[in-house]
Amino acid sequence: MSELKVSESSTSAEEKDWLEAKAFFDNLKTNKPRPPKPRFAVTIAVSSRTLFNMVAERKIYEEVGVEDYVKFQIEHEDEPLKPGAAFPFVKALMTVNTRLRELYPDSEELFDIVLMTNNHAQVGVRLINSINHYDLTIERFCMTGGKSPIGYLKAYMTNLYLSKDSDKVTEAIEEGIAAATMFTPEKEVVLCDTQLRVAFDGDAVLFSDESEIIVKKHGLDSFFEHEKEFENKPLAQGPLKCFLEALGKLQRKFYAKNERLNCPIRTFLVTARSAASSGARVLKTLRSWGLEIDEALFLAGAPKGPLLEKIKPHIFFDDQMFHIEGAKELGTIAAHVPYGIGQKYNRGKLIEEPKKEE
Amino acid sequence: MTASICAASDTRKNAEHTVVVAITSHSVFESRDGDDVFGAGLAFPLLQALQRVNEQLLEGNPDESLLFDVVLVTTDRKQQQQRSLIMSSTTHHGLDVSRFCFSCEEDFVESLQTNAVDLFLSTDRKELLQASEQGVVSALLETHSASPPLEQLRILFCGDFLIQPDAGLKLAGAQSAKGFLSRLGEVRRRFSVQDSPLSITVLTSRGGRESCGSAICVLRSFGINADEAYCLAGAPRAPILNVLQPHFIFMSFDG
Repeated sequence: MSELKVSESSTSAEEKDWLEAKAFFDNLKTNKPRPPKPRFAVTIAVSSRTLFNMVAERKIYEEVGVEDYVKFQIEHEDEPLKPGAAFPFVKALMTVNTRLRELYPDSEELFDIVLMTNNHAQVGVRLINSINHYDLTIERFCMTGGKSPIGYLKAYMTNLYLSKDSDKVTEAIEEGIAAATMFTPEKEVVLCDTQLRVAFDGDAVLFSDESEIIVKKHGLDSFFEHEKEFENKPLAQGPLKCFLEALGKLQRKFYAKNERLNCPIRTFLVTARSAASSGARVLKTLRSWGLEIDEALFLAGAPKGPLLEKIKPHIFFDDQMFHIEGAKELGTIAAHVPYGIGQKYNRGKLIEEPKKEE
Repeated sequence: MTASICAASDTRKNAEHTVVVAITSHSVFESRDGDDVFGAGLAFPLLQALQRVNEQLLEGNPDESLLFDVVLVTTDRKQQQQRSLIMSSTTHHGLDVSRFCFSCEEDFVESLQTNAVDLFLSTDRKELLQASEQGVVSALLETHSASPPLEQLRILFCGDFLIQPDAGLKLAGAQSAKGFLSRLGEVRRRFSVQDSPLSITVLTSRGGRESCGSAICVLRSFGINADEAYCLAGAPRAPILNVLQPHFIFMSFDG
C-alpha cells in the first residue's frame, strides 16, 4: 500500500508554487487559515455527493440527462446545498486543525480537505457557494468535467478518498490510495463536535484479507487454529492502514503537548474477531507496526450496529456490505472499502457471477 | 525589407467567421538531418486536435463557417529562408493550413496584425510577450508529450492571471480580442457537455477557492463556459499539468 507521501525531496518548482500561494494568503485581509503544504499534510479528498446532499440533482442527471442537470445546478447556484454524509467528518477534521494550529502555529502537519469531483466547472460555482455558506476550510479542488479523478488523486498526494461512486473507489484502491464508498445513515444522530472519532474494521480494512480468505474457504474452526498458530506473525497491511498511521502521527502531536486526555482524535477497532481466540494477533500486528488504536472492540461475531450506535463515529470503515447495512440502519455513517475476498460474498454466501452476455 | 510575404494554400476558408490561429513553424516542424521534409514537431498533436474540431463542426453543420483557420508563421530569418521546405512539409504531412506568413524577428507581429490573426501560439515566451504587448492574443504552447496524443483539444486559462484587474486589458485589449474569446465560447457551445472535441479548463495556482470561482465567472463574462476547474492554492503545479495535458495556456508572459 502507498507510503504516506512522496519520499523524494521537494523540487524547486514545488517550493516556488508553495511560496507564491503562501504570500497570497498572508496578504489577505481576512483571517482565513492558509491551506497546509501538501507534502506534510494529511490530504482527504471528498466528492461533491459525499460533502453535500445532491440526491434530487442526481435524479435529474440519471433520469433526464447531463445537460439538464448542469442547467438545473446553474439556475440554483445561489442556493446552498444541504450537508451530505461526509459533512460531519469534514467539520470534525476542521476542529482538529483548529486545535493543532493553537498548539503548533507554524506546522504544516494538518488535515487538508480537497473537493475532488467529476462535476463540470459550471456546477462548481454552486459547490463553491455552498462551501462559502458553511464556511468550510476547503481551498483546493478538482472539477474534472467528467474525466476520471484517479490521476488527480495522486497529483494532490491524497491520503484518503471518499466518494459515492464505488467504481471510482475501487479504482483508487487498486492504485494504492486508501478509499471508501460513503453511505448516508438512515437516521440522524448527534455527533461529538470536539473530537474526531474514526472506527475501523480489522480484516480487509486495516489488515489484508489473508485471514478472511481462510474463513470463507475453510470455515471458522480452521480460522481460529490458523490465527492461534500465527499469533506472532504480523498480518499484512490493508488499504486503510496508512490512514490510521496518519491519524496516529497527529495524535502524537497532542500527546507531546500533554493533551492525551483531551486529544481531539479517537480511533476505534470494531472487529468480528473474538478477544479470546483470534484477537491477540490483531493487537500484536498493530504493535509491530508501531500503531496505537484507542479502543479495540472484539464482537466475536455479534452485530456491529448497536455498538457503533454507542461509539457514534464520524466515519466507520468496513469491507463487508452486511456490516455497512447494519451500521446505516442504526444511524452510523458507514463507508465501504471494496477490497479483498469479502467482495465476492454476500452474507456468507458466494455471489454468483452474472452470466456473461453472448 | 518589405513586409513579409504571405502565401495562401488551397484550403483557404471563408474569412468572415473563422477563428484564425497562427502557429510558429518552429513549433510545428522539427528538422531531420538527411531528410528532404521536416519531421513532426511539438505542435503536431495540437494541429490534429484543431482539425478534429473542424471535422466535427462540419459534421454537425456542413455549412458551418465558425471553423479554426490555421496559419503557419515564421518568426526568424532562418525559418523565413526555408519557405519552400515549410510548404512542402505541410503538404507532405497532410496538414490543414490555409496560409503561410514568412516573417522574421522584426516584422512577425505586424504580419500577425495585418492577417487578422485571432490567436498566436508559440513555445517562445519572448515572442509571446512581444505579440501580446502589441495587442495580439497569445498563448503558450505546452510541451508535455502525451502518448498516445490526446484527441481532444485542451485549452487552459491560468486563473490567477484572469482575476488580476488588468487581465481584461492584457488578454482582450482590442475589440477583436474580445471577439475571439466570445467566438471560442461559441465553438464550445456547438458541442454538448460531454464528449466534446474541445475542453476549456481554468487553473489557479496561488489563490483559494474564491480566486478560482472568480476566474470561472470572468470567463463567463467573456462568453466562455469552462468545462474543468482546478484550484491548487500552493499545491505543486507540475503533477497536475502532467495529468491535465493542455495543448496551450493563456497566461501572463511578463515576469
